[in-house]
Amino acid sequence: MTTEVGINQLKRRDFLKAGLVFGAGAAGLAAGYAAVPDAFARAVYAAKREGVTNDNILVMIQLAGGNDGLRTVVPLADPTLHDLRPKLSSSMVSQALPLNNQFGFNHNLGSIKGLWDQGKVAIVQGVGYPNPTFSHFESIRIWETGDPTRRQVDGWLGRTLASAYDSNGHPLTGCACGTTDVPGALRDLQATMTVIQNQKTFGFTGGSEVEAAVGALYKGTPGIYGALFDTAIATATETMATLRTSAASYQPMADYSDKVKLVYSSKNQLAAALQLAAELIVTGTGVKLLHVTLGGFDTHYTELNRHDDLMGYLDSAVGAFYKDLAAHGMADKVLIATWSEFGRRPKENASGGTDHGAAAPLLLIGDPVKGGLYGEAPNLTNLDATGNLKYAVDFRSVYQEILGGHLGAGSSQILGASFDRVPFLKAPIAATV
Amino acid sequence: MQLLRRTSFGYTPTQLETALSDGFNKTMDRLIETKPVDPPALAAASTPGGRFAVAQLQQWWIDHMLTTSTPFAERMTLFWHGHFTSDYRKVADDTFMYWQNLTWRRMSLTDLRSMLMQVTTDPAMLRYLDLATSTGQNPNENYSRELMELFTMGPGNYTEEDVRQSAKALAGWQEPPPDSYTTVTVDKANNVTRRLPVYSTPKPGVFNPKRAFKGAVTYLGKSGPLDIQGVVDRILAQPATAQFIAGKLAQHFVTANPDGAYVKTLADAFRRSKYDMKTLMRAVFTSPQFAAASSYRTLVKSPAEFTVHAARALGLSNPSKLIASAGTGMGQSLFDPPDVGGWPNNESWISSNTVVERVNFVTAALAQLKTSLPAASDSSRVHLDGVLSPQTASLLNRAADDRARWFIALASPEFQLK
Repeated sequence: MTTEVGINQLKRRDFLKAGLVFGAGAAGLAAGYAAVPDAFARAVYAAKREGVTNDNILVMIQLAGGNDGLRTVVPLADPTLHDLRPKLSSSMVSQALPLNNQFGFNHNLGSIKGLWDQGKVAIVQGVGYPNPTFSHFESIRIWETGDPTRRQVDGWLGRTLASAYDSNGHPLTGCACGTTDVPGALRDLQATMTVIQNQKTFGFTGGSEVEAAVGALYKGTPGIYGALFDTAIATATETMATLRTSAASYQPMADYSDKVKLVYSSKNQLAAALQLAAELIVTGTGVKLLHVTLGGFDTHYTELNRHDDLMGYLDSAVGAFYKDLAAHGMADKVLIATWSEFGRRPKENASGGTDHGAAAPLLLIGDPVKGGLYGEAPNLTNLDATGNLKYAVDFRSVYQEILGGHLGAGSSQILGASFDRVPFLKAPIAATV
Repeated sequence: MQLLRRTSFGYTPTQLETALSDGFNKTMDRLIETKPVDPPALAAASTPGGRFAVAQLQQWWIDHMLTTSTPFAERMTLFWHGHFTSDYRKVADDTFMYWQNLTWRRMSLTDLRSMLMQVTTDPAMLRYLDLATSTGQNPNENYSRELMELFTMGPGNYTEEDVRQSAKALAGWQEPPPDSYTTVTVDKANNVTRRLPVYSTPKPGVFNPKRAFKGAVTYLGKSGPLDIQGVVDRILAQPATAQFIAGKLAQHFVTANPDGAYVKTLADAFRRSKYDMKTLMRAVFTSPQFAAASSYRTLVKSPAEFTVHAARALGLSNPSKLIASAGTGMGQSLFDPPDVGGWPNNESWISSNTVVERVNFVTAALAQLKTSLPAASDSSRVHLDGVLSPQTASLLNRAADDRARWFIALASPEFQLK
């Protein structure tokens, strides 16, 4: 792959690494702050001559806090489950929506079960990585960077943006919907991405006059955050222009109102975030990699109702999203994938909840998916030394299939290695791995 | 100026002149040594079950940030709110959140040992990290893990076995019993009533030996029976603890990436002082790194710092409602952190969404001033050190009036930094 480097051969990463050196004293400070030339502070990106040319789209849904795999894809016939979870297991087994005689979906995953019946849901069981950490933040970082050795700092989707797409001037190539900050998976200093918390309020109060003033103000900003600030403003301004057009031409074809009342409200409005994602997709904004989050999965206590509620919340949002995409004739382009930093402990605790666990199932949803069960079923009688489920599928195997098979991006370059395949796609793009 | 910017929520021109004439040392002494002033009591806090809107709590705190005579204690309270964090959603009792805020302020510049005891038995924390429902027989690991990972030592300095062992040792603490109960109609239409707890004063959690673990545990390399004081003392015996706290404070008050040798110097002073916070903060502010040119504008103001500073610069008369609601889009809603790790810092505050919201806040703040604006002529010296990028300087020069000058000054990249 050849790349064209911008005018001054200086990448934003180099700029941030170099920082800004000031002279001593107040006068020196003033001089140093003012002396940074425009070109230094401007983010300069590599424009791709080659790269991904298909129009496939990925939507990652983060189930933040550690989703309980055993309550998502429920083992129906394992007597050990009741011994480990006397409080939590009985209703979850009896109410589950059977997939076969071994497993059933959580009873609130009705829409996703409907898609399963049409062969549009792949369940990869036993996903994890070696020597799991039980820290939320360490494990989130491992999943976000795709690196269990914790050396990599950029996100796997950010690296994909940087290496496989021309995001310069196309700020919506990567977009996080329904949040205020850049999710770690999308972070890469050489890639542009947009963050939109709420589409209705995304814009400058005061309109074009303010927009022009701010555009002039955030230009060649010096200092270690200069490029970040300038890029954020430039990205926001371009995105606003795009959204003005897309909002006018988008008509939702599904009901995104969440009918599920959570036991305590989630900060993340998953349905609204997915509706924005649908708008960006069906109006042809050029969006490729989308990230949304649903929080509240850290169910250390009274898990029974809370986890069921979260499942219902996920199900109604994903159901509406798929329906909307299908009605707009875009369902064949979009792969939806869930991820979570870990599963939960098979044994329940005194609070009627479960502590941090390890391996868990992932869901891949959409027309590109070849439905079915992949990976290995959880073995409740062969737990590891911490009382957790052992993993059978490295999470990077799933990333690899998404990158190479769905997006057509160079997965071995992005992930730094090759992994066993998990063939959950109907027609994987000829591997560029 | 940097000292004030990093230790206060903005300042008036008069406060700046006082600090400049007092000099660095006297100003630092005043900031660190003055006993934290409590905010006025919040009447809503006596609502049974703490069932009142979190916005009231947010505005009450912001009002205090705006007016307090001990701003550094307020900055430390905000720091600890992000460090020993809890969120109102899970705690589900805003009175408990209110108590926690009062406790964090009073302990903000004391010693880490007593702080950790208060954190462990704080009613909101007992709920937030589930210690209140843990038992020695079937422990909940949530608090045990985060006490070490997020509050004291940082990851990599303890084992999973340590998490399990201290979960046993910490079990037995419960929420304080209420003084009484009262029956309240929570849903008039369906005539639903609930029996809600009433407290006359703030209380810490209580120990119930029946729920505690009986026997010895092996924790951080030593074996024996252990209570929460023992757990805290073991944690304080680990060198990692002073390193972790000092490093986080250096990152918050000095520079985005403090180097290891610098953090070690601070940590050594902290440990030698028996974990005295005043000693540590004095070491932070008097360190050469604090005054170094390379630390200049290397920190991004959090949304609370930015909004309160801007409102004070403009002299807004009643801005706490605006400030409280504006925080969400910038990524910081008080009493509602994104997760158990509290808020991230510096570059994490910058995204396409948050910068737009920062600019919109300035627009909204200026809109509250219909007629009289404070003179903007001195604003770049008072609030931006007179150190401006060519763009900011030229836009300020070209601005048509004070309203435009204030907009440029407060929406500028310079004002987002501290």
